[in-house]
Amino acid sequence: MSEMKLHATSIFGAELSRRGFLAAGGALLVYAGLGSRPAQGAAPAALDPTRGNSWIEIRADNTVQFRTGKCDFGQSSIYTAYPQIIAEELGVPFEAVTSVISGDTDRTPDGGGTFGLLRTNVQNLRKAAAYTREALLAVAAERLGVPKNQLTVQAGVVSGGGRSISYGELVKGQDLKLVIPTRGDMMDFAGLVVDGNPPLRPASSYTVVGKPHKNPSLAPKVSGKTVWACDVKLPGMLHGRVIHPPTLGSTLVRAGTLDSKQYPNVRVVVKGSFLGVVAPDEWQAIQAAQELAATTQWTAWKGLPGSEQLHEHLRHHADYTALPAVKGGASKGDVAAAVAGAAKLHSASYDFPYLKHAPIGPAIATADVRPDGSVTVHTNSQNPQFLRKGIAIMLAVSADQVVIRSYPGSGHYGRSNGGNAGAEDQAVLLSQAVGRPVRLQWMRAEDLQWSTQSSAMVSDIRIALDANGRISGYQGDHYGPPMQDDRLVGALLAGLPTIGAPGAPNEKVPQQGGLFVADRWIYDAVPNVAEAGHATWQIGEHESPLRVGLRDHSMRTPIQFQQNFPRELAISEAAALAGADALQFRLDHLKEPRFRDILARLRAETGWETRPSPAPHAAASGDRAVRGRGVSTLFRDNGYWACAAEVAVTPASGMVTVERVTIVVDPGIVVNPLQLKRQVEAGCLMGVSIALHEAVSFDEGAVTIADWASYPILTMAEMPEVKVVIAPRPEAGIYGQGSETSNALAASAIAGAVFDATGKAPRQLPLRADVVRRMLSA
Amino acid sequence: MLRMTVNGQRRSVNSAPETPLLYVLRNELNVLTPKFGCGLAQCGACSVLLDGAEVRACVTPVAAAAGKEVTTVDGLPARWAKQQGHAPPAAGRLHPVQEAWIEQQVPQCGYCQFGMMIKATELLEHTPQPTDAEIKAAFTTSGPSAHLCRCGSYAAILDGVRHAATLMAKKGGAS
Repeated sequence: MSEMKLHATSIFGAELSRRGFLAAGGALLVYAGLGSRPAQGAAPAALDPTRGNSWIEIRADNTVQFRTGKCDFGQSSIYTAYPQIIAEELGVPFEAVTSVISGDTDRTPDGGGTFGLLRTNVQNLRKAAAYTREALLAVAAERLGVPKNQLTVQAGVVSGGGRSISYGELVKGQDLKLVIPTRGDMMDFAGLVVDGNPPLRPASSYTVVGKPHKNPSLAPKVSGKTVWACDVKLPGMLHGRVIHPPTLGSTLVRAGTLDSKQYPNVRVVVKGSFLGVVAPDEWQAIQAAQELAATTQWTAWKGLPGSEQLHEHLRHHADYTALPAVKGGASKGDVAAAVAGAAKLHSASYDFPYLKHAPIGPAIATADVRPDGSVTVHTNSQNPQFLRKGIAIMLAVSADQVVIRSYPGSGHYGRSNGGNAGAEDQAVLLSQAVGRPVRLQWMRAEDLQWSTQSSAMVSDIRIALDANGRISGYQGDHYGPPMQDDRLVGALLAGLPTIGAPGAPNEKVPQQGGLFVADRWIYDAVPNVAEAGHATWQIGEHESPLRVGLRDHSMRTPIQFQQNFPRELAISEAAALAGADALQFRLDHLKEPRFRDILARLRAETGWETRPSPAPHAAASGDRAVRGRGVSTLFRDNGYWACAAEVAVTPASGMVTVERVTIVVDPGIVVNPLQLKRQVEAGCLMGVSIALHEAVSFDEGAVTIADWASYPILTMAEMPEVKVVIAPRPEAGIYGQGSETSNALAASAIAGAVFDATGKAPRQLPLRADVVRRMLSA
Repeated sequence: MLRMTVNGQRRSVNSAPETPLLYVLRNELNVLTPKFGCGLAQCGACSVLLDGAEVRACVTPVAAAAGKEVTTVDGLPARWAKQQGHAPPAAGRLHPVQEAWIEQQVPQCGYCQFGMMIKATELLEHTPQPTDAEIKAAFTTSGPSAHLCRCGSYAAILDGVRHAATLMAKKGGAS
């Protein structure tokens, strides 16, 4: 097909061409420019326009389709905020965006992980839409004979010079192609980035952004029409189950045997220490796996400190010399001098446990490895292109041969933002071994024991107060593993190649080097600040012959949650030391008006009584419930957050009941207030769950939690009243995010409330009854 | 061979009688809304109605469903129509619980919500105007375990059940 350039000059760096005329239909499709290089060994075909992987497609019927490599995990942004922002830039109604293709590596243009959806990723589509609008205006100018700068767009209709024409009419019968400038590599962790600076619509002119549109993907889910990742059925598909080692370092000595009469159609797959079964029937596969496990022999292994000794280990035994310390960006002044000259000093150490993402649906994948070497994996992943790369590395094949297809699935909360949730590569190994498509879903215990975990931390905080009770110096030192292990666990068991482990120098991994100070310092009136992160290796990884150990991974508000909990609880403790009210004390150390406004709003919304902690009736003993309240603040992803929690504590039992949580958020531009409210509400409750219940137990060799009894999460009866106050600030001109920040706020506010109620600060999570009882009686 | 009614249709089952109902529904009968969560009756993702009572399909042997009526979310619209004395509903018509779940935008990821909607239906069929305490008890202590939502949609579920109760009262009264 010969291409005809429509315009000699580019459209803000994008290039528009007409590839031909069509008898029926017609469209404008938008592609990544040649400036973007696919990954080495990646399929150029994945960027081939004939494969239909345009960023945005304007159709003759005035509808719009867009594609993104990101996937929805329940936040709805891809189905609500993304179409709203695209519609806004294009100048069409929300309803015109009728179709979204998401997460399929052969049908989406950009790659990158499902995180920071409104921080970075949506800027790609926003720019792509802006380029598209400008291209359509250029076509309209030609068609209407009116200069482009005299044209306006409203509801998908271009008007000027007394004439008008719809987008649909503009593309009807045309085969238009717009190539936009991009950079990066779609199989890198962050994917492609759209380059250049097309004119963006000012927030002040927004009409679609800010409306409470419903999530169009919910009706098909609720009515049972959606095909979930776990629902995929392929012709000839078999069911797999994996027998994992008894510890995180045990290697296979001898695979067990199956009674061939009882399991005539079951095949056993062994590769290194990777052991699985494949059967035509799922229940048969589950039973066969149990049977096989009973007679399989593994080496013994011990290489973990045990969760009872975890924080002792992190504080006194872990090696922090191999990886460099990372200084916090807000460090300034002379904290040592402030501490030396302090009138009062708060100095304490805080413990944060390992947490599990704990999706309700365990890891699931259906893999189809064909004799020709092509590999297709059907799953739900937060980063399908990175998973594609990982599978290609494991099999030592070109990424051209690997396709990841994405479906809705159980929330992952960050676990798969580096591609895998756990079962994907194992399904591939099973399919490769038996030459048939294999569906593999992990059982509940292995989803808790063989998945990654949110990393643990210990933090030493010192707050110096001057004679006036103001903070003269703040020092925060955080110690722990640096997180983000995206190695494929089946590949590790099988002894096959993977990307590097986190922290490993000179390897291309998302998390290199040290432990960052991720909790941005917000108390800008404090004169002396010193913050640092100190990283150690993943616990047990180097000791494990499998190189497994406790693999860490980002989970909602990663690292920031771990660091914000000690900081905010310590600030509340310092306020008490100063004889000041915890909320007012924060205001006294904040100059940023957006923080001052939301704290003032929080005070009003909660009827906050200004007084120092502990509460006048505080008690650390007795069987009568005592009440308290706490406050926390956090800055993340351009969003300003404040939270208040009210709790009742029964000292004799240690039982903590969270009665009310109020969250105030100023995210700048609110894209969709309805979805934001639901996100914040839900994230807040996940945070309450973490505060009250969650910690990963492990012994010297293995993770020992196995079910929802040993890793309890919040139930509905424990739900506090949740009040979400959205305080938009559209003039900020930036979209803040909602889905994950809210889950980091509750824990420190709840701990502050327990301190207020009892006079004793719980410097560790979770606030389980036995932990609190022990803390109060100490 | 076992026989049972699944979402209003007579079905025959070839699976061994001790096979958990969940695998029979999903793999043999292609009824996919009940989801695997734990296999231990600890989360409720696999809940179905067995003769109107919520059970965990992951631990219920299929033999226990023989001769009985199994209802999943797929069958809720027909169940509601039958209860109202209407003909089978046209495609796209939903049970008031489903309508409420959409209206209130209840799900986040939605994986647990099939079990949540089954539990809501069971509750509202017996207690048409539940108090908040009754709703919380239904989702926490009425079954073998609490119905768990990792995303934290409990506040939305509470809104959804309240809304469904209103819809059912309105429609039930109108028919």
